[in-house]
Amino acid sequence: MSLDNDLRNALRRVPAPEGFADRVLARVHGGQTILSARGQAGLPVLHWWRGIAATFLLAAMLGGWGAHEMVERRREAAGQRAREQVLLALRITGEKLAHAERGVRHITSE
Amino acid sequence: MSALLTEVGESEDILRRAQEGDGDAFAALVSEHESMVFSIAWHFFSDRNRSEEIAQDVFLQLYRNLGKIETRAHLLFWLRQVTSRRCIDEVRRAGPRRISLDDAPELPVAPSSHDPLASRRLRESISTLPPRQRMVVTLRYQEDLDPSEIGRIVGLPVNTIKSHLHRALLALRKKMGVET
Repeated sequence: MSLDNDLRNALRRVPAPEGFADRVLARVHGGQTILSARGQAGLPVLHWWRGIAATFLLAAMLGGWGAHEMVERRREAAGQRAREQVLLALRITGEKLAHAERGVRHITSE
Repeated sequence: MSALLTEVGESEDILRRAQEGDGDAFAALVSEHESMVFSIAWHFFSDRNRSEEIAQDVFLQLYRNLGKIETRAHLLFWLRQVTSRRCIDEVRRAGPRRISLDDAPELPVAPSSHDPLASRRLRESISTLPPRQRMVVTLRYQEDLDPSEIGRIVGLPVNTIKSHLHRALLALRKKMGVET
């Protein structure tokens, strides 16, 4: 038997998997099914790069939201500190004025 | 002769109707050529899922390019060309991802007088050839094409095809222990 004949025999055409044409037509009409073989018909195939892209997008959105929250909290804390410092300054000033007033009254009563 | 002409005429008519948007005609084209397209990918990869994915992509591409197909002969050439280039591109892009033929299911083929184990051993040897040689051998023996036709399909000079074929057959003879 010649190698040519053996090759022709080994490389004969084989039938496409059952339902192949239906899956092609489903993709033509906008479906996402790709594989059939071994009972996987109808399952949408999520390409790995789409999964990675979606993960990155989600991470970026969560990261952005987290950073925004952190900046807001820092701004609120700084505002709170400034408010407390102003109140403290007013309180010190008030106490000093009261002390001075008491001193003036003491001098005038003598 | 007249039966052949009728058949060719019908095929041309199916192609024309598919180009005009007839879904049934396109389905008929897929059914007519699915075995050829799938088999080229199958003999190249020995991986059923990968072969089906590529064959589906080829028909999807055909659907988008139906307007460029001129005749039935052109359709056959186009399908062989796109399938073979897609297979070689896929190997370059994703690597061999070759599976052992022990893990590959036997696909149903018409019964023949040949030894199925010898055919399996031969396919295993073919799967170890470099991608271009593997494709040239597949087109030569699956599709019974001569080197000039293969050259037009894969876009290489005829002498390069002859050289690929020569080297591939030498390697296969060596692997199979066939006397030269």
